[in-house]
Amino acid sequence: MARTGKDNDTLFLGIVGLLAWVVPGGGHFLLNERKRAVVIFVTVILTFVVGLYIGSIGAIDPVSAKPWYVAQLMNSPIVFFLGQISTSGHFPVYGRAGEIGQIYTSIAGLLNLLCIVNAVYTAHLRGLDEARA
Amino acid sequence: MNPLTCTLLAGFTTPMRIDTNAASMLWLLPLVVAIAIVYKATKVGQIRARAFARETALLIGSILVFIAVAALVLYGVAWIVTEQLPAMAGGSAF
Repeated sequence: MARTGKDNDTLFLGIVGLLAWVVPGGGHFLLNERKRAVVIFVTVILTFVVGLYIGSIGAIDPVSAKPWYVAQLMNSPIVFFLGQISTSGHFPVYGRAGEIGQIYTSIAGLLNLLCIVNAVYTAHLRGLDEARA
Repeated sequence: MNPLTCTLLAGFTTPMRIDTNAASMLWLLPLVVAIAIVYKATKVGQIRARAFARETALLIGSILVFIAVAALVLYGVAWIVTEQLPAMAGGSAF
């Protein structure tokens, strides 16, 4: 069965969203928004890395801090593997530094979620424009 | 491995030492900058360095002013509840 334009559009939106999740700014890069992609990539990655440096890898805790972990997962699928490493228990996390690290990494994830939604929405609007033209 | 690289990587395995004091609130500043940059990156039509920096700085300023106002209001409420209300209660029939 031949694919319709709507199927292709949905597939493209999915690819944009997936790429934006795998690499922060990747969705915008695919849409030829290079400057925007670089700004998003640098800011999200820097916020996430600073959070990890402040709180240690233990700030990613898939066991006893699940809500934070869900927000952290929005950064990239790599967080899943970092979560597996941190569950080994070799990376201590405590006190104010642990809290701040958790907040930084989670906010970085939520910012990337905003960028994912924005990239998909931008791709959707462009698809509508092309369909009209 | 390079000692500097080792030191940097080791930093990711133990938390930094941050005391629980008023100065630790300053850690919100880089976060506010990151939030403002990403938010503006998704909002502006085209990214031009000067205009983008101006808009981001404006947003950072707005967020900080709002936080300061919220902190003042909360401080005022806490002062009334912990200082004024007990004094008023002490001066009455109690």
